[in-house]
This record gives sequence, C-alpha cells and structure tokens, in this order.
Amino acid sequence: MSIRLEQVTKNYGSVQGISNISLEMESGITGILGPNGAGKSTTMKIILGLSRPSRGIVRVNGNDPFTDWKLKRKFGFVPEYDCFYEHMSGLDYVSYFLRMHDVGEEKAEKMARKALSELGLGDAMERRIDTYSRGMRQKTKVARATVFDPDILIMDEPFQGADPTTRGLLMKKLTEWADKGKTILISSHILHDVQSLTDNIMLINNGKMLAYGDRHEIRKLMDNIPRPISIVPLRKGNLRNLAKRFLDEKWTKATIIDEENNELTVETDQSEEVYKKLPIILQNEKISVEKIYSEDDSLDSLYTKLVEGAQWK
Amino acid sequence: MEIKKRISEIPTTIQNFAKRSVNLFPPIAKDCTYRILMNKVAWVIIVILLLPCILGLVIYYETEDSRQVQNNDGEKIYYNNDGNLIHEEKREDFVDQSDLIVISFVAIIMAILFSSELINEEYENKTMQLLRTTPIHSFEILLYRYIAGVLCMFGILGIYSIIFYLTTMMGSGQHGIIENLDVLLLILKVLLLESIAFMGIFCVFTIYFNRPFLIGIAYWIIWESIVSGQNYQKLTVTHYLNSILFDSTKEMSWDVVASDYNLVNSKNDIIATEPLTAVLIIVIIAIITLILGTRGLSNRQF
Repeated sequence: MSIRLEQVTKNYGSVQGISNISLEMESGITGILGPNGAGKSTTMKIILGLSRPSRGIVRVNGNDPFTDWKLKRKFGFVPEYDCFYEHMSGLDYVSYFLRMHDVGEEKAEKMARKALSELGLGDAMERRIDTYSRGMRQKTKVARATVFDPDILIMDEPFQGADPTTRGLLMKKLTEWADKGKTILISSHILHDVQSLTDNIMLINNGKMLAYGDRHEIRKLMDNIPRPISIVPLRKGNLRNLAKRFLDEKWTKATIIDEENNELTVETDQSEEVYKKLPIILQNEKISVEKIYSEDDSLDSLYTKLVEGAQWK
Repeated sequence: MEIKKRISEIPTTIQNFAKRSVNLFPPIAKDCTYRILMNKVAWVIIVILLLPCILGLVIYYETEDSRQVQNNDGEKIYYNNDGNLIHEEKREDFVDQSDLIVISFVAIIMAILFSSELINEEYENKTMQLLRTTPIHSFEILLYRYIAGVLCMFGILGIYSIIFYLTTMMGSGQHGIIENLDVLLLILKVLLLESIAFMGIFCVFTIYFNRPFLIGIAYWIIWESIVSGQNYQKLTVTHYLNSILFDSTKEMSWDVVASDYNLVNSKNDIIATEPLTAVLIIVIIAIITLILGTRGLSNRQF
C-alpha cells in the first residue's frame, strides 16, 4: 500500500493547517512528530479522506481518499479523541463497525471477541463503554481499528492514557502488524515510543514539514549544528590533557569537562572525522575508555533542534 | 461512453446495495432506535401527548351515563342528548385534535429532535468521523438513519394515535370504534407521509447547519406555519398534508370546506392538490432531501 502527498496545503479559513507537505509512505511504521497544533492530525485526516486539501494531491494506492469511499476498507484509524457510542458494550461497538464493513452478524461478533481478547479486554468486553477506564477505551479504539485487518493503520496518539502494560502490548502489536507488511502512520508525544518502533520519522511544526526520512539521515543534514560526542575514560584524572588535545583539531568547536562523572564531551560539526580520528588520539594519549556515545542521536535531541528552529544545510 | 457505462452498472449497484443493506441496516436501526427511545425530550413529548388521552378518559367517565343507547341487531349505537350519533361527533374531534396537536405541532418537533439525535449527535460524539473512515457510502449512512428515524417517529405517533383514537371514541362504544377505523387510517397515513417528508427536511438541516434545532424551529414557524396559509402554500409540506386530509374527509361525506384546511388563496380560490399528486410530491421531497443530504455528508470535512 502506498500513500503519496504532493505539495499538500490545508487552510481553515485564514488559519493554515499544513503547508506544502510532500511525502511517500510504503509499508512499515512511520512516526509523525510535532508539538500540539503542528498539523499532525490534519495530515492524518487528509490521508484518511476526512478532509480535502486546499491545494496539492493526495493519493492512496493511486486513488483520492476523499472521493473513493471504497478505499476506506483499507484504513484502520485510531483517533486521538474519544469517539464512542457510550451506551454500547465494547463488543457491540467493535461488532458495529465490523458490520459497516459488510460483515455478517455472527462473524462480526466472533472477530470482535477475538480482537478484544487479544488486547486484554476479554473480561470487560460485555460492559458498557461508559464504564471503561482510559486505558480500556484506548484498547477498544485499537481493537476497532485493527479487527478487520486493514492494510493502512493511522494512529493518532495511540499510547495516550495507556498504562505501561497496555503500552507494551500495543508496541508489540504494532511491530507485528508492521512485520506483516502494513503501512502504519503513528503520531505520539512520547518520542521514546516512536524511537523504539521506527527510525522513519516525519517532523512537523507550524504546519510545515521540517524533515522526513530516516532519523540518522536527517541528523546528517544538520551537520552544521555542533554535535556532542561524549567520552568516558576508564580511569579518572586525564580529562584536561585530552580536552587540550581535541582543541588542537580544527573540527572541535568546544569541549566540556564533567569531572564529577569523569566525562569529556567534544562538540563538533564533523562527527565522522571525529570517529575516524578518535582511536588514534586515544591511543596516543594512552587512554582506555569505558564508553563513547552521542546523546544527539536520540530522537528527543533531533526533535528539539528541529522544532525549536535550528537551521541545517 | 461514460454515461452508458454508468447506466449499465445500475442493476449491479442496486443488487450490491440490497445485499449490503442486510448487514448495514440492522445494527444502525438498532442503535438509532435505542438512542431515540433513550432521549429524555422524546419521553417528555410522549408524556405530553398522553395528556389528551387522559382527558378523553375523564370525559368518557363523566358522560358515560348520559348517553342514549339504541340496539340494532345486537349492536349498541350511542346517541347524545340532542339525538346525534356520538361516533360522528367524536371522529371529528379526533381528526381536529390530531391535526392540531400531532400533525401541526408534535410531529414537527419530533422530526427536528430525532434528526438532530441521529445525525448531529454523531457529529458531536465524532462517531461520524469514524463512519467516514469505513467503507460505507454517505448515502447509506444517511438513508439507514433516515429510515430508522421515520420508523421510530411513525411508530411513536402511530401508537399514540391508536391510543388517542380509542380514548376519544370510547364513548361511542364498539360500534363507533369499528365504524370509524377509516378515520384512524387516514390520520396514520398522514402521519407516515409527514414523517417521510419532515425527517428528510430536518436531516438536511442537521447536515448543512451548525444549529439545526434553531433552524428547524425557524423553518417550522416561518415556512410551515405562516407560508402554509398563504398564496405560496404549495411550497410547503403542510399544504400537501392538508390536501390529503381535506380530500379524504370530503370523500367520507363530512361537512368540510377547503378553507377549514387553509386550502384557499387570497382570492378565496380553492388550491387543494389531488391526493395522489400530494403523496407523489411528498415522496419526491423525501428523495430530494436524501440526495441533498448525501451530497452534504460527502462534502463535509472534519
């Protein structure tokens, strides 16, 4: 299944929802990240055909999702907000939407029972939804969206309100569905969750796409932003000499010594050069190291840099 | 070529539509019926409707002893003190009060309320957004809700009318009740047509406007109440319902004139519509509202 957005802009009157977003998604998980009001939900609604772009082209498998209602059988959608028939039981609710997929009564009930049980709602499925906790509601939404085995899963903050167990369960399920070749678009405020699911991310802020692709690749685009590389020697005491040695190199922008934690951080805009030269420098200085790491590889760091307005090449 | 292709696809489309309705209609109808019956305002209306029935019972017990009875081959025929047949008076009361209370007032309020419950509530609860992500056409989303709404509205008003008929006609005995069943059927027919027309109209308002209840009330007061008594009354549903009532009561040899049902223009010319034409126009109104509603739903963005 392929999703393609070409120069998509969506305006709500004079307010801009998203601007000139272009992306192509194939199977696998793509994380969509951005602060509140960034345009994540608008992008999702446009892909789902719930909203029509003011400009640009949206295609799902080559068809327009806004006009092609039959295409909707391929979509599973977990919205951020609650959208229940509160008087129904979880079982009735999931069955109801299965019936909307033209599934017979008995089969729908059987499928709904299985989906809800798999998500740990076996005991509560016959209770009214208005008695459900937040986590149970979240699971019910996921069950409804996935019960008919859709090819495309669009999940807006699926971990919201979920306890650690539910979160773990959902993560496991998402990985399974991705392995089955589903196309999954997932938004979350919890960057760690997205990071543990996928490297393929789209960063969005103020309706504009800041970056899209593999997060390591995106980081490379930002090489002019100093990147910290931290070195933790095995023994204490020789950090200052080492810092001086690094400052002799043209690629070192700054060094930070953390004597308490016995850690030296080198800020550079040529990280590959650093990694190449580092073993030689350490050997010459006769320093054994416990670990070398870069905080900057984390999605949090990338997110902060991009969203907070940093520039890159 | 495109048109020819589309025309050739019509039978298959209808066949698929009929097949799908087996799975789609029952759960929608069940949910809609539940929501309507659980609506507190609907119950307030039902309770208000029952008041005239209680009044009918009170009148029956107060006048029961003052009736005069004539036995005709074992059948008891009741007369009042003036020597008039009670059932002839009561049936006119039934039609007049049904027209005044149910047809002109309660049915319209009910249609506004139910259409709002069935469609606007789904917008507010955001379940409509979810439905739009399922492979169900906007026409199906609307049609099944519309049918459920019409059935509920007609069911409630129909049951009420039967109760009201029985309580009103009680004083005329079994003979009076059986003799005037055609009057009950006439009211039921008008209520069915009214449900068909107004549910469609108010569903469209609910789809297109953010404040459907207010728009509905304004439409009822300005259009169906004021315009329906004027020269342009053929643009109102009330005109066609009145035409059916007028024609049928005339057929029953009642002493009625067109002006009793406001079916005259400013020059006092009779402008009643033929009943069959009136029925056809009401059905056409319903079809047009469904088409407009489907367009509105399809183009609605979230």
